[in-house]
Amino acid sequence: MMPLTSEWLGVNEKIMNKLKHFFKSFLLWELLVGLKLTGRYLFSKKITVQFPEEETPRSARFRGLLALRRYPNGEERCIACKLCEAVCPALAITIEAEPRADGSRRTTKYEVDFFKCIYCGFCEESCPVDSIVATSQMHYHFEKRGENIFTKEKLLAVGDKYEKEIAANRTKDSAYR
Amino acid sequence: MAETELYKLTETMCGEIDQWIAKFPPERKQSALLASLHIVQKETGWLSTAQLNAVADYLGLAYVTVYEVATFYSMYDLQPVGRHKVHLCNNISCMLNGSEKLSEHVKAKLGVEFGATTTDGKFTLKHAECLAACAGAPAAQIDGVHYENLTPEKIDKILDNLD
Amino acid sequence: MIELEIDGKKVEAEPGNMIIQVADAMGVYIPRFCYHKKLSIAANCRMCLVEVEKIGKPVPACATPISQGMRVFTKSEKALAAQRAVMEFLLINHPLDCPICDQGGECELQDLALGYGDDLSRYTEGKRAVDDENLGSLIATDMTRCIHCTRCVRFGTEVAGMRELGTVWRGEHMEIKTFVGKSLTSEVSGNIIDLCPVGALTSKPYRYTARAWELQQRYTIAPHDCLGSHLNVHVRRNEVMRVVPRESEAINETWLSDRDRFSYTGLKSEDRLNQPMIKQSGHWQSVSWEVALEYMLEALKKVIAVQGPEQAAGIISPSATLEESYLFQRLLRGLGCPNIDHRLRQIDFADQDSMPLYPGLKVKIADLEQQRAVLIIGANVRQEQPLLALRLRKANLKGAQIFCINPIDYQVNFNLNQKLICHPTLLPEMLAGIIKAILVKQAIEAPTTIAEQLKSIQVTEQQQAIAEALSVNQPSTILLGAIAQQHPQAATLRSLASLLAELTGASVNLLTEGANTAGAWLAGAVPHRGAVGLTQDKLGQTIAELFAEPRKAYVLFNVEPAQDCANPKQVTKALQQADLVVALTPYNTPYLQQHADVLLPIAHHAETSGTYVNAEGEWQSFAAVVSAPEQVKPGWKVLRVLGNLADLADFNYTASTEIRDELQGMLANHSLKVAKQVQPRINLAYTKHPLTRITEWPMYRVDGLVRRALPLQQAASHDSVGIRINSKMIEQLQLAAGGLATVEQAGESVTLPVILDERIPQGCALIAGGFAETEVLAESFGAITIHV
Repeated sequence: MMPLTSEWLGVNEKIMNKLKHFFKSFLLWELLVGLKLTGRYLFSKKITVQFPEEETPRSARFRGLLALRRYPNGEERCIACKLCEAVCPALAITIEAEPRADGSRRTTKYEVDFFKCIYCGFCEESCPVDSIVATSQMHYHFEKRGENIFTKEKLLAVGDKYEKEIAANRTKDSAYR
Repeated sequence: MAETELYKLTETMCGEIDQWIAKFPPERKQSALLASLHIVQKETGWLSTAQLNAVADYLGLAYVTVYEVATFYSMYDLQPVGRHKVHLCNNISCMLNGSEKLSEHVKAKLGVEFGATTTDGKFTLKHAECLAACAGAPAAQIDGVHYENLTPEKIDKILDNLD
Repeated sequence: MIELEIDGKKVEAEPGNMIIQVADAMGVYIPRFCYHKKLSIAANCRMCLVEVEKIGKPVPACATPISQGMRVFTKSEKALAAQRAVMEFLLINHPLDCPICDQGGECELQDLALGYGDDLSRYTEGKRAVDDENLGSLIATDMTRCIHCTRCVRFGTEVAGMRELGTVWRGEHMEIKTFVGKSLTSEVSGNIIDLCPVGALTSKPYRYTARAWELQQRYTIAPHDCLGSHLNVHVRRNEVMRVVPRESEAINETWLSDRDRFSYTGLKSEDRLNQPMIKQSGHWQSVSWEVALEYMLEALKKVIAVQGPEQAAGIISPSATLEESYLFQRLLRGLGCPNIDHRLRQIDFADQDSMPLYPGLKVKIADLEQQRAVLIIGANVRQEQPLLALRLRKANLKGAQIFCINPIDYQVNFNLNQKLICHPTLLPEMLAGIIKAILVKQAIEAPTTIAEQLKSIQVTEQQQAIAEALSVNQPSTILLGAIAQQHPQAATLRSLASLLAELTGASVNLLTEGANTAGAWLAGAVPHRGAVGLTQDKLGQTIAELFAEPRKAYVLFNVEPAQDCANPKQVTKALQQADLVVALTPYNTPYLQQHADVLLPIAHHAETSGTYVNAEGEWQSFAAVVSAPEQVKPGWKVLRVLGNLADLADFNYTASTEIRDELQGMLANHSLKVAKQVQPRINLAYTKHPLTRITEWPMYRVDGLVRRALPLQQAASHDSVGIRINSKMIEQLQLAAGGLATVEQAGESVTLPVILDERIPQGCALIAGGFAETEVLAESFGAITIHV
């Protein structure tokens, strides 16, 4: 038996390829292969969603727009400990504080600059009272310079608006914290 | 306690305090503080802030020094007390010999908790630490007098005999 | 010296030292809460437990004296186990409220809990809670956080000499409190904020406003008294958030007076002047610096040219910096006007030619502790220089005898061996009595100047005792305070003090007003001498003369004339008559609006660089800690530009340090030769009024900044303005304590509350200066009448 040298095989392969190619192009084989794939996707379940009408689901840990929360009795949670301000790697948070009339420690100014914010979520992690949180909101925009800075009132309003969702997300994630 | 309230030590008190002051070196007037407070308390049964201030002034001490001492020792009463002070020992020997039962009995009889005064102002019930009468446990000190081997019946009799 | 070993390192130390002291010196850190190097050893926190070889149990390093061959292990397993156990106990009752605690981030307990605490508590029982007491407007309390280290109590007892806080109740119920809920009155109470290792005692004005990690620490010098305490100012976003002491063994040790600590709260006063302003036809206009400076200079030049240089006067605050004082006098002298003075509250200048280069302390502040006898004349040391009083207290505790001659029986925080309380006019006589006692005792003939005057003086036993003590106990010191220097016979008092010093070997020390009186003298802000004491061709007139005979132009530098000067009525009258009043001031007050013509906004000391020369002659330079707001400029820059505009030579300084260096150079090349007083100006004669006013500037009314520091004003509510008078006088004048009465002085009258004050001598009433209410009144020690 002759040894199967590479040279011998190479020659035969070349002939085979030529033959294959001839028949494939003659019989529109490749077109059919393509149509098979098309056909399969035509009938399979679609994953494309109609953004912005439709959205893909988001994790409970999604870090979107920041918000300040309140307790169920309406009292703001923030106690002006300034840990979020200290931990913020982008220096996006600015806080000023003083004793409120009832003697409690409260912020007089709590601003987040969303141009600086990098949504790292460190503020949320550092907060001892779950006050500053990242909501799953990602649809927001700024039209004028200055709108990027969210004041305490705005942040609290965001928190009020999405409280249900925020609370639900916190509950969902609580087992891992 | 209003700061304007003033109390003047009586002459007899001052006399007695002076005797105590004389027992210590002149620059150690503070040493006479315990005795002075007892002297004043003897008069009114308890010590008001005004009285503490008066003692402080008399001995030349800072007010707070006197407050420290008066609050440290349980033998000084800083609230109005009844006519009779009943101290029940609650330490180990008395406890083993039934002081708990005795306490319950006295509490029920007088209708007050420890540290309180009966509504008629007759008795003030207090705990005492070891009265050094373990051999005669359970023991009590009523108006400065020791009573030993007490039973509910015995203490009833003692208390009933007080006016 | 004995040898021991700490953590395997051999070390030599003096016997008697505690382990912790030796360890600190060699840089081995042992955790501690109750130990503080300036306080007595309490050993009650137990955090510093360490292992010592051959001692079975761990021992507290703060209370264990070292011994020969001792082997200490601070980080052995046994030591660490003990420290961890102590930490666990400390944390049992400590609340977990670090996020709302002001101490968070700079808390000794927090730091050590990180190293020695467990991450989980084994304690499930209820925690202790303690009610807070209101300790006044300076100190906030959260006593639940207290770990009973008792540093605050020991500070009050040992250092401040005022026992206000104590440990009441006992065991688990122990609490640190005043017990009756009163405000702290000590003038150094703020130090317990620094001492408290946890957040139990914190600063009330600073409460909740910032975190330690946001603050930048900058260095400056305290601007309110002649000690020049070292400060660390904590700044955030160009705003002073708080002030803490910077350790300086020579001056303030680790302490700070409340005035220096809390006066920063006056920096943001509402009446701050932010724009240069000029008054034209009765209306104030904000103008640019160029316009204001040129307008002012033109007007001033015109007065000098037309009315003559003696018709202009420059008055500068004794708390202005050295550079400001120097440029101020250079500017005015450059324009030809020699009338410059900074001695706002003084009346008697008879001996100004024989004054040394600058008045101040001959003894170093730290050396005051070593004095064996101290005579205080006309001084309320505790209010004027609170930290100097602490030094005197230390001397006293070491056995120094302290005496005082005062017109008011001031409360002091040390023991006075003798006190002579007399009518203010008798102060010189009292002092002369002591001199006579010595002369008689030593059989020395009295100097001719006073021999005649001494004859009629009766020497009391007290005076004899003081004379004896001063000459026997060496070193001895004579301190002349504010009242002595503001006295109508101040020169006599100074001369008598010098004479007494000569006779006894004591040193004469002047406790000067403001932060920079010494600097003002050095800079030449006095009418009779130039910078570094250079003699002047043209001698100016003193502040008393400058106001007694009204001038046409006044330039005021950081002075609130009616509240800072000795005779407000006279000052007001003089300013009213003047054609031009220029005020370089940080404040836009109604008074200045009414009387001034030009207002130039200058910076506070926190906003300017400069130098203060303290009473012992220490030159202490500092940089601005924050930048000045809006159009406000540092005083020296304003003066420099004025110098340029006036075409004065050598006025091109680019930094305040250049001015200081120039002065230092001048000082090195010149020494003042003060002619020894040939004739000491001693005049014991006095005019006695039926009723004399005593004037003092209370602690928190001494300058514009403290007057605007609200927390200090609240803390000093007991020092409120009024007619302070003793009960006999009240009866005599048929007044009612607590009611109102009218004081009349030099034709002016004001109605004030009558305050019973038994410290005041017969025939006198204390009516303080520095208040808006008393700015219509006249001279400090003048005659008054009081009626309902």
